[in-house]
Amino acid sequence: MPEMTYLEAIRQALWQEMKRDERVFLLGEDIGVYGGAFGLTHGMLDEFGPERVRETPISEATIVATAVGASLLGMRPVAEIMFMDFVLLALDQIANQAAKMRFMFGGRTSVPIVVRMPGGSGTGAASQHSQSLESILMHFPGLKVVNPSTPYDAKGLMLASIRDPNPVCFVEHKVLYKTKGEVPEDDYMIPIGVAEVKRAGRDITVVANNIMVMKTLHIAERLAQDGIEVEVIDPRTLLPLDTETIINSVTKTGRLLVVHEACQTGGWAGEVIASVVGSPAFDYLDTPVRRLGGRDIPIPYNRGLEKFAIPQDADIEAEIRMMVAGKV
Amino acid sequence: MPVPFIMPKFDMDQEQATIISWEKRDGDFVKFEETVLTVETDKVAIEVPSPATGTLARITYKDGDVVPVTTIIAYILKDGETLADLPKADITPPLSKPEVDSVSQSLTSAQATPVAVRMAKEEGVDLSKVASSGDKITRRDVELYLANQTPASRVAVAATPAARRVAREKGIDLENVAGSGPRGRVQSADVSKTAKQIPASVSHGREAEVIPLTGIRRTIAERMQQSFQQSPHIALTVDVDMTEAEKVRKRFNAQAEKLAQPRVTVTALIIKVVAWALVRNPYINASFNSDSISLWKDVNIGVAAAAPQGLVVPVLKGADTLGVGEINLRLVELAERARENKLKLEDVQGGTFTISNLGMFGVRQFRAIINPPESAILAVGSAVRKPIVIDEQDRVEVRPIMSLTLSADHRVIDGIVAARFLSDLVTGLESPSMLLY
Repeated sequence: MPEMTYLEAIRQALWQEMKRDERVFLLGEDIGVYGGAFGLTHGMLDEFGPERVRETPISEATIVATAVGASLLGMRPVAEIMFMDFVLLALDQIANQAAKMRFMFGGRTSVPIVVRMPGGSGTGAASQHSQSLESILMHFPGLKVVNPSTPYDAKGLMLASIRDPNPVCFVEHKVLYKTKGEVPEDDYMIPIGVAEVKRAGRDITVVANNIMVMKTLHIAERLAQDGIEVEVIDPRTLLPLDTETIINSVTKTGRLLVVHEACQTGGWAGEVIASVVGSPAFDYLDTPVRRLGGRDIPIPYNRGLEKFAIPQDADIEAEIRMMVAGKV
Repeated sequence: MPVPFIMPKFDMDQEQATIISWEKRDGDFVKFEETVLTVETDKVAIEVPSPATGTLARITYKDGDVVPVTTIIAYILKDGETLADLPKADITPPLSKPEVDSVSQSLTSAQATPVAVRMAKEEGVDLSKVASSGDKITRRDVELYLANQTPASRVAVAATPAARRVAREKGIDLENVAGSGPRGRVQSADVSKTAKQIPASVSHGREAEVIPLTGIRRTIAERMQQSFQQSPHIALTVDVDMTEAEKVRKRFNAQAEKLAQPRVTVTALIIKVVAWALVRNPYINASFNSDSISLWKDVNIGVAAAAPQGLVVPVLKGADTLGVGEINLRLVELAERARENKLKLEDVQGGTFTISNLGMFGVRQFRAIINPPESAILAVGSAVRKPIVIDEQDRVEVRPIMSLTLSADHRVIDGIVAARFLSDLVTGLESPSMLLY
């Protein structure tokens, strides 16, 4: 199986799907000649031409609105928001239009768009280009929020997202773009709304998304040497959230930690925790349920402080050790 | 709801009372009307009785405090209630305080924040014992103090949900489990550890399936223990030659066959004779009350039977008024209902005497425990064919001999009364025609 980066996996998904389905087209800022701010659409203008790789003005509202309109007329647009932070400018189109049309028109139409957006810190891009806003998007019924952590998941979920008849926010992570993994050349889909146990363990369930999955898996290897077996669950889709997989895991381990880069207050960890505590897994909890989110501050530009703002390996490891030892 | 302990008003014009001394402390068990404290009005010293039986909690005023009448000065927690059941504290400050208290008052206002003072009052914490983390004792300090109290001093046991589940499943009282978590919180591993220790010390490594004592099992256990401990049992045994009874039963069975009725059992026949003998011996058909004895006019005979969940005793009402055929029919029906667990409450109530027949299992003779509130029970053994001397010429014949053992409550039944009853049973069974006499 060929190895490729997270970025290449997404590009391959877009490429293959545009070859397969002529209704699929891309739109966004600098995605053509420049190949996108992160180079994700590099080469696609040459391959598919300006009709299908459409450069837009700097107006996120217009980008998504155009995608919504095109989708209503039968197209399958994939819009790019250059930095996830800018999705706030398009939020009316996403939340009030795309998410609601199918319901408000009594199911007579649907909005099959994908809105891609790289989020996350770690590139020294400061407060307005580093946020993790996926929790905000979870609050709008009618949307799907997809959030892959590996190249394999990224391709499979992108194909599933484009073929989904409803609007999907496809949240990528800037730092993950360069991570590598095995990705099949074939056409395959990963179902939306299904979590994956990335590592099985008996002592504690850690639910994490995107880059935090990688960090937690790394820590889990180290902890295993000390006899602590961490079960790592990647929800992969945040909306709809696969609570069943999480609840089953907590029933087994009796401990739950949720780790995300998004600011802790109002972050999706609260949603996971409420789902578990309100479920029959309650009776199996053997430590207080904990979350480790980003600090409630704008991401600083200073590289040292930028790291300080989000959970680091040492923070996650300390938290897991405390919980497993029954010291919290 | 906990019962509020109110400073009583002893006089029409009385407005306040001074507490002279508390006879009881927080956490003491007090009985209704037991003296809990002595107070003084401007006229007289008076002992104040408890308004209820329970545990004294949250005493709000100290010795020497002057308290307005009708003020709540403490609470009585009834069985099962905890401090958590108390309403939020609303404390009327004492009207005047002795020297010592004004010192501690100035201490608290100078060294603790108002929130800490209020919280200390609500939780009954002595602020002088609370360590301060800064200039003043803060709410946080009081919380830390409370959190560091040993589990024994806390009313509710802190335990994780998993620990509670495991404790529930293993039938372990969380209060007996030492918690290894922060602030003594009990975690599931602590419960499992305790669970392992308990059976090890009790059963010396033997394994047992533990069945919770519930429902009928608990009732049986309680009633048998009560009966055996409270009523002094005497037991008398007689042997009965069942030759004649068997002959009669044979004739009855022939009749039953004609009527397409079930075969008449030995038990049915015994019930008939027992009923007849009970009418002649009213003290056997009686109940002991603490200061009287009830001689029952009805003869309602219970028959011990096996039901899926344990022993049941369906009752044949008015057995003295029924023929053996009718007794047999009702017995068959009751036994069937007992087996199918379908007995109604009225089927098992109102018994005045009980028969327990284990003869069909080959049990020769046994002593039964009286089924309270009855005064006697008849244990019926198996009929065994054996050679016995049948007349004064010492002729020996093989006859079916059955033993009957009467357990009787000696408070009600003298030995001679029990003996007479047994003698009547022998007569009735050996010469059934005597029942017509």
